[in-house]
Amino acid sequence: MKNGGVSVLWALAGVGLVVLMWELVKWLGNFIPLPFNTSDMTMPHVWTMVAAMGEPEVRGSENTVLDAVISAAFRSLTLAVGGFIIGVAVGLLLAVIMQRFLFAERGLLPFVIASQTVPLIALAPLIVGIGNRIEIGPVKWTTTYSVMFIAAYLAFFPLSVGALRGLQAPTPTSLELMRSYAATPGQTTRKLRFPSSIPYMVPALKVSAAASVVGTVVAEISTGVRGGIGRLLIEYARQITSQPAKVYVAVFGAIALGLLVAALVTALDVYLTRNLPKEKNA
Amino acid sequence: MTTTTTQHAVSATGVWKIFNEGQPNEVTALQDVNLTVDSGEFISLIGPSGCGKSTLLRVIADLTDATKGEVKVAGHTPHEAREQQLYGMAFQQAALFDWRTVRRNVELPLELQGWDKSKRKARAMELLEMVQLADFAEHRPWELSGGMQQRVAIARSLAVDPTILLMDEPFGALDEMTRERMQNELLRIRQETGKSIIFVTHSIPEAVYLSDRVVVMSPRPGRITDIVPVPLGDARDEDTREADEFFDAVTAVREALRGHVGGAGARAKVGEV
Repeated sequence: MKNGGVSVLWALAGVGLVVLMWELVKWLGNFIPLPFNTSDMTMPHVWTMVAAMGEPEVRGSENTVLDAVISAAFRSLTLAVGGFIIGVAVGLLLAVIMQRFLFAERGLLPFVIASQTVPLIALAPLIVGIGNRIEIGPVKWTTTYSVMFIAAYLAFFPLSVGALRGLQAPTPTSLELMRSYAATPGQTTRKLRFPSSIPYMVPALKVSAAASVVGTVVAEISTGVRGGIGRLLIEYARQITSQPAKVYVAVFGAIALGLLVAALVTALDVYLTRNLPKEKNA
Repeated sequence: MTTTTTQHAVSATGVWKIFNEGQPNEVTALQDVNLTVDSGEFISLIGPSGCGKSTLLRVIADLTDATKGEVKVAGHTPHEAREQQLYGMAFQQAALFDWRTVRRNVELPLELQGWDKSKRKARAMELLEMVQLADFAEHRPWELSGGMQQRVAIARSLAVDPTILLMDEPFGALDEMTRERMQNELLRIRQETGKSIIFVTHSIPEAVYLSDRVVVMSPRPGRITDIVPVPLGDARDEDTREADEFFDAVTAVREALRGHVGGAGARAKVGEV
């Protein structure tokens, strides 16, 4: 953390470099034929994009495009975080069951892996279709739940595989030690296996977090849920002929969403590994 | 230690351990092992790799089953002894948990037994005091040297105040100087606590320096070939390492390991002293 200031400078330098490259490619396009279109329609100037942020979202509206993107990003963030939490809970539970019972690992793991090969586009309408018929007392399933479900569906997998490896990580000596203390399987899981799995869990959490964001955006698009960044991307993409820079603002919103989730997971990482030797968390 | 003052700490009668029985890769790890360890006695198991010394310790600790024969630990089956925490165990790897402080590592067995927080903290500090690591109670294990880690592991094995200590090459990974210091520590702890100790080692001088009797084992099949008494008394210190009786006992163990007939003669000579 000592070099935090320097890291921020490097990150800003990176952004600056991307902006520079973008404008350079656009400028070169004026002189040499490039295999892609560099016109203002497809590649608007960076300053046009920045200006687009301040424009009203629809004609005469008080809300700017930036306002709309921010609120959409937050809306998607809540769905992604919800999906992430459900996915992590389910992934952990599956990992513990698979670790505890060998037959469960043999029986479940193929399905866990197979679950990820089903194309999301095929799955989304199915989940919406089935979900909409669910009604438990006063709680009625809405398409929002379907989005969270899809995000969780993508998020649980990396975590359950990573956690399973972590739960199996303790050395034979540590396990014999616990046995010599007549520890119950539950105690061994809580006091040995679970803490030993943290170094395996942290990278898995990062992948799961990214998966939940991607899952949310894709699910918003394929289920047609309004209010999130996924839907906004589609809407703005349709307006590309009139306002070409607008869609890029939404893209930035999606990127910011991803970065925010990554930052949350990094904070979680720092918290979880605070007691471990530092060279191990590198 | 309650109703069991007169009985043996550990007794093994006709114990066999056969791995992969009936298969082409069958191995007889223990063949007809008979051994009694008196209450308060220090016994070393010594022998080349594959002689079954660790297997014997693991059978006593109920980490594996005997194929045949009877083992009693403080008058109970190994399983009961483990369930009732009648023994404490230390391994070659200290196996301390990185995410716990030194003190909380010592507290682990007490935590598993459901002791309350203040009681187990007091007990852990008492034990860390005994192994002279009280100042390091709130450090993390990885900040300690190998010898210090092993002392924490010994403190942890004493936490529930078991009557028997089972030690599987606990000093095997330490350098010679640290090792000799640790041996003195262990003798002091033994004097203070009166535990019965079964100690597995590869080192002849270590076995002789620490033990009342050295159990010599031999591989293929793993069996006890000799039991060498060490008549060095209870008060042992650095001078003991240079005493004639010490060297005589070392010679006796060495010859017993070689399987020489002379082993018995040398032992008789030691016995006379």
